[in-house]
Amino acid sequence: MTATTTTTTPAVDLAGVEKQFGDLVAVRHLDLQIQPGEFFSIIGPSGCGKTTTLRMVAGFEDPTAGRVSVSGKDMTGVRPYRRPVNTVFQSYALFPHLDVYENVAFGLREARVGKAEVRVRVAEAISLVQLEGRESSRPRKLSGGQQQRVALARALVNRPDVLLLDEPLGALDLKLRTEMQTQLKDLQRSVGVTFCYVTHDQGEAFSMSDRVAVMNLGLLEQVGTPEDVYHRPASLFVADFVGKANRFRGRVTDGSSGVYTVDIDGIGSRRVPGPDGIPSGAEVVVVVRPENLRATPAESRNGLTATVIDAAFLGAVRTIRLQAAPLGELTSAAGGAGAAPAPGSTVSLTWDENHAWLIQAGD
Amino acid sequence: MNIRRHPVAAPLSLLILLFMWVPLIVVAVNSFNTQTIMAGWGGFTTHWYSLAWHNEDVRTGLKTTLIIAVASSVLSLFVAVTGALWWRRASPKARAVYDGLIFARIILPEVVFATALFFLFLKIHFSLGLTAIVIGHTVWNSAYAALIVQARMAGLDPALEEAAADLGATPWRAFRRVTLSALMPAIVVAGLLAFTFSFDDVVTSVFLQGASNSPLPVVILGMIRFRITPEINAIGLLVMLFTVTVMSLAVIFYATAGSLGRAGRRGSMLDMYR
Repeated sequence: MTATTTTTTPAVDLAGVEKQFGDLVAVRHLDLQIQPGEFFSIIGPSGCGKTTTLRMVAGFEDPTAGRVSVSGKDMTGVRPYRRPVNTVFQSYALFPHLDVYENVAFGLREARVGKAEVRVRVAEAISLVQLEGRESSRPRKLSGGQQQRVALARALVNRPDVLLLDEPLGALDLKLRTEMQTQLKDLQRSVGVTFCYVTHDQGEAFSMSDRVAVMNLGLLEQVGTPEDVYHRPASLFVADFVGKANRFRGRVTDGSSGVYTVDIDGIGSRRVPGPDGIPSGAEVVVVVRPENLRATPAESRNGLTATVIDAAFLGAVRTIRLQAAPLGELTSAAGGAGAAPAPGSTVSLTWDENHAWLIQAGD
Repeated sequence: MNIRRHPVAAPLSLLILLFMWVPLIVVAVNSFNTQTIMAGWGGFTTHWYSLAWHNEDVRTGLKTTLIIAVASSVLSLFVAVTGALWWRRASPKARAVYDGLIFARIILPEVVFATALFFLFLKIHFSLGLTAIVIGHTVWNSAYAALIVQARMAGLDPALEEAAADLGATPWRAFRRVTLSALMPAIVVAGLLAFTFSFDDVVTSVFLQGASNSPLPVVILGMIRFRITPEINAIGLLVMLFTVTVMSLAVIFYATAGSLGRAGRRGSMLDMYR
C-alpha cells in the first residue's frame, strides 16, 4: 500500500466523447479533464461543439460514443436531475411565475431539504450574489445583471460538484460584462466550486480562467493556461482565435529540445522556440504577437523593414498597421504613451528570440 | 375631412349605441315591472325572479347548461394544453396544419359543424344528448382555448424545463412546477372563455340535444315561442350578469397574469396570438 498517491479524481472527465446529430459531427473524440476547484473555460467560434460538450456534462445530450464522468462517477445513462452539476443558462431560464426566493429555493425543494435549512441556504445564496431585499421580486422586474445573479444563486445553492456556465454574460452590455467577470472570479474563489465556463469571447475566458480549452469544428485544438494558449498556440487556428498574430512562413533547418533554427522567407535565419518533435526540413509558421513586434524608426541590422499604413490609438495601446513588401500586412502594438509613427514612414521590425512561437504548417 | 368631425358621425354613433343598449335596458327594466304585457311601467316587483327561480324547466335547463359548460371547458383545456405542448416541439409544417385547423374551427359557421356532427353521430349510432353536446362545444371551444394557451406557450423560454431538470426535478415535476404553473394564467382565461361560450350556445345544443334535457338558452328560446313574459326578462338579466362577471374575471386575470412572463409583455387581448 502506497500512501503517496497524489492523483486527484478529476471533477469532470471526458474520455473519448463523441456527439453526432444525424450526419453532423458536433464533437469528435474529446479527451478532457477538469480538476476540482478549477475555473475552466471552453472557448471557440459558434458551432465548434463547446455548448454540446457542456450539455453532455449536464446530461441534456447523450454522447454517441465515449464516457462522461463527474467526480469519478460514470454519468452514462444518468438523467440531468440526478447529476451533481448545475447549469447557468445563456437565457438564465428563470421561472417567470416564481419570485427570486422561490427561484433560488427550487433545487432545494426538489431535493426535499428541510424548511429551516432551505431558509438558511437560500438567504446565504442570495447574499452571496448581493440580492438582499429583492427576494420577493419577479425575475421580470430585475435588470439583466440581477437576473444573471439570480441564475447563479439558483445553481450554487445546491452546492454542485461542478457549475456549468453557458455564455452567461452574453446578454449583458460591455461594462456590466466586465464587472460580472470580476464578480464571477471572486465568487468562484470564495465558494471553491469547479466552474466549467463556455464562451466565444477569448478575452472573457482569459480574464477568469485557470485553464482554457480551445475547440474548433468539434475538435479540441489545445488545452492550457491562458498564457500557454496565447504565447504558445498549438495551431494556427488557436493563434488567430485568441488574438492577433503576425505570421512568417519558413523552414526548420536545425534544432532540438524546443528551440529551432528557422529559415524565414524574406527575413533569413532565426532562432525560434517551439514544441518538441518538429523534424528538420519541416514547413513552419513563426507566430509573433503584435506587442512583441517592435517597430523602431532606425534601420536595424536584421533588415526587416516595413512601411507604416496607419496607427490606431486605443488608449492603453497603439496598434500600427504595416506593409512589409514580400510578407504582406503586419501589426505591431506598443504602449499608447509614445508618439505615433507617421503613415508612409519606414520602420524596422524586431522581436526577442523567445517572444515568438513555432507552429508546424499543416496542409 | 376628419371622419371624427363629420356632422353625421356623432349622431350615428349615438344611434348605434342606443340600438345596442336600449334592448338590454328594456329587458332589465321590465324584469322588475309588474305589468305583464309590458306596455308601460306598472310598479316595482321581484315576482318574476321568484317565478323564474321556481320554474322547473328553467332550473333543469340551468343545471344542464352548467354541466355542459364545465365539462366542455375542461375537455377544451385538455385538448388545448396537450396540443400546445406538442405544438412547441412540432415541425413548422405540422404547426401550420395545426394552426390551420384551429382557425378553420373559428371561421367556419357553427351551424356547419353542428350539422356535420349531427350526421356523424347518426351514422356511427352515437346517441344524441348531453355527451354529444359536450363534444360539439369542445370542437370549437378548444380552438379558442388553444389560441390563448399557445400564445403563452410561445412566450415561455424552452430552456425552462431543462433548468427545472437541472435543479433536480423529474420530468413530471418539471411539467407541474414549471410548464403548467407558467401556463396557468392562460389556462384560467381560456377556461373562463370556453365556459361562457358554452353557457350561451344555442345552435350546437339544438342540433345535438336529441331527447335529453335542453340547456338554458334552448329553454328560453322555447319559452318565447309561446309568449313573452316578464319572467324571461328576469332570466335574461341574470344570465347577462353572470356572463359579464365571468368574462370580466377572464379579462382581469389576463391583464394581471400578463405581467408574469415574457408573453405578457405584449400585453393586450388583441395581440395574444402572433
